[in-house]
Amino acid sequence: MNGGKMFGGFVGKILKVDLTTKTINTEPINEKIAKNYLGGKGYATYLLYQYLKEYESEGITPKDINALDPENVLIFATGPGTGILGFPSSGRYHVMALKSPLTGSIGSANSGGEWGPFLKFSGFDAIVIQGASDTPVYLEVVNGNAEIRDAKDLWGKNTFDTTRILKKKVEGKNTSVTCIGPAGENMVYMACIVNDEHRAAGRTGLGAVMGSKKLKAIVVSGTGKVPVAEPERFEELSKRFLDAMKKNPVTGEGLPTYGTAVLVNIINKSGVFPYRNWQTGVNPDAESISGETLAEKYLVKRRACWGCTIGCGRVTSVKSGPFQILYSEGPEYETVWALGSSTAVKDLDAIVKANHYCDELGMDPISLGSTIAAAMELNEKGYVPAEELQGLDLKFGNAAALVEAVWRTAYKTGFGKYLALGSRKLCELYGHPELSMSVKGLEMPAYEPRGVKGMGLNYATANRGGCHVTGYTIAPEIAGIPEKIDPLTTEGKAKWVKIFQDFTCVVNSTVNCLFDTFALSAKDYTEILSAVTGWNFSEEEILKIGERIYNLERVILNKFGFNGKDDTLPSRLLKEPMPEGPAKGHVVELEKMKEEYYKLRGWVNGTPTPEKLKELGIRL
Amino acid sequence: MEEVSAKVLLFATLREKYGVKELYVKCDGTVRNLIENAASTIGESFFNDVYDDSVEKVRDNLIFLINGRNIRDIKGKVKIKESDEIAIFPPVAGG
Ligand code: SF4
Repeated sequence: MNGGKMFGGFVGKILKVDLTTKTINTEPINEKIAKNYLGGKGYATYLLYQYLKEYESEGITPKDINALDPENVLIFATGPGTGILGFPSSGRYHVMALKSPLTGSIGSANSGGEWGPFLKFSGFDAIVIQGASDTPVYLEVVNGNAEIRDAKDLWGKNTFDTTRILKKKVEGKNTSVTCIGPAGENMVYMACIVNDEHRAAGRTGLGAVMGSKKLKAIVVSGTGKVPVAEPERFEELSKRFLDAMKKNPVTGEGLPTYGTAVLVNIINKSGVFPYRNWQTGVNPDAESISGETLAEKYLVKRRACWGCTIGCGRVTSVKSGPFQILYSEGPEYETVWALGSSTAVKDLDAIVKANHYCDELGMDPISLGSTIAAAMELNEKGYVPAEELQGLDLKFGNAAALVEAVWRTAYKTGFGKYLALGSRKLCELYGHPELSMSVKGLEMPAYEPRGVKGMGLNYATANRGGCHVTGYTIAPEIAGIPEKIDPLTTEGKAKWVKIFQDFTCVVNSTVNCLFDTFALSAKDYTEILSAVTGWNFSEEEILKIGERIYNLERVILNKFGFNGKDDTLPSRLLKEPMPEGPAKGHVVELEKMKEEYYKLRGWVNGTPTPEKLKELGIRL
Repeated sequence: MEEVSAKVLLFATLREKYGVKELYVKCDGTVRNLIENAASTIGESFFNDVYDDSVEKVRDNLIFLINGRNIRDIKGKVKIKESDEIAIFPPVAGG
């Protein structure tokens, strides 16, 4: 029962915590909002917009809100799919903040593991954190009860120790911890939130937001269940979809066998694997850091997120040598690229170790690796005075310097305090903003848009900044899923980018894993979400929900002063032709694609028109 | 038809199944002949794994790159040239 009426997929309550006043309240899930925005990212975006409006009515303008001030609001949210056994890969949750320290706009990240489902079992669909504590605290949520507890003893501890200590303290079934490490405490701009030791809500620096609130961790535990409105229909769909995923060569074989790093060789052979801070798209040493090499030399076993039948996670180890680590997880494709190819480090031992430290200290390896790569280029071009590096030999290919830089960044020591600002601010500081390979302040991940044009349009227009999973056009452009389109052309890309961006909003509001979409369609999501909630969605309505979420998120961006001028790419990608490989001679013809994209979106200058907002039922 | 030699690279499960990372294959410039000749070296099943003879083309679910360009993106008749690099991946994605 939720608010007196039966609807499935939600446990029905939002936990609201004010860390300044140390007050805790609950609020019921609003059926109308859930029908229009689902849960996860959608519901959180709706709530963030309400906070923004409330602030404005109190005379606090969006510009007055600082990412690391108490006004920032942080939301952890699950969706109607999360925590339902048999719902494909539903062990995930979404985190959002009104403002990211890296981008100056809305923060957004997603994570797997167990924490999302266990939050629901503890009795809540979402947690909203406002204000900031004076002293370190953690939040304990057990079977419908929540308490703010002292975390002085935990402050300074890494994410692994924090997790183990809190799990032991709370005990009980279905107990999981999400927390920050030293990087979050030190408000490093690319600090992330780590749950279950090796899963992370990685992007947009949300760990720093948690650190600014002195919130060390949230431990959840519970034995609740998530209601399903139409169990029989759900069972039938679940069986059909899980079977389809098992038979699908990507979700049934490729990802389980090799994990995400299997992409290294494909993307490199396609000439779009950024190398040396995006100076080219071909890495001559890709084989040594590939998924095949990882599987052959480092893989111990697979590890899946809660309820996932794909199981792309890797348990790995480096058996000996200076980078020895006997138990680790990952690295994922993006991590291998950022810490390896972007920096030209070809020693996979060092990459595994650097990734391990990122988990332990709580940092996003994509932004960190890219920032280190930008620093390497700044340094090699002679833009960084030697004394400022304090012995950190930031040269492309230097594995030891890479690993050392991870530590220095987390603790903001020496040159680490500049790396901790992210690549945009770092490159501005040294007078060369063009060397930051970021969009809206967020470092772009591992696909070179000069050779995969749809991804260029997606990076430029992605609401959270340089992000691949906002609209993953690599699926059609490289893998040919659901159909093959030529990566080197611009025709029709706007349509694909829009569809992928909207549909991804649905996935992140469901909340389940984006990898399911290699096997499942929007129609499949429509059917299973209808069975779970009991609301009979049409496919059109489901895609409309995605579009609504994307547009509302864009409205928030606009309020923070972002518009069409910010929907752009680093000049290297727009002006410098790709020097080699299959995309040789190409640049991204962005303006052409952007014009078409805005037309399809019903936007002018990166801003939704009043007509578009009215059509989507968004009231400002 | 003139004989050419191309470098064929195998990845992921294909590499594992045939125990081969790379090989040089002579062919008459057609994709079918290239795959046929590779199969005679590394294992007959390779032909069927990669080529769908009923529709006379490379299987759609594979990623088959000729000098980095997906065969499905190449317009017109595909011709293998001397020293071309052919990279073959089973259906994989992720990221
Ligand atoms: S596919 Fe991988 S990332 Fe996604 S839920 Fe499963 S194990 Fe987690």
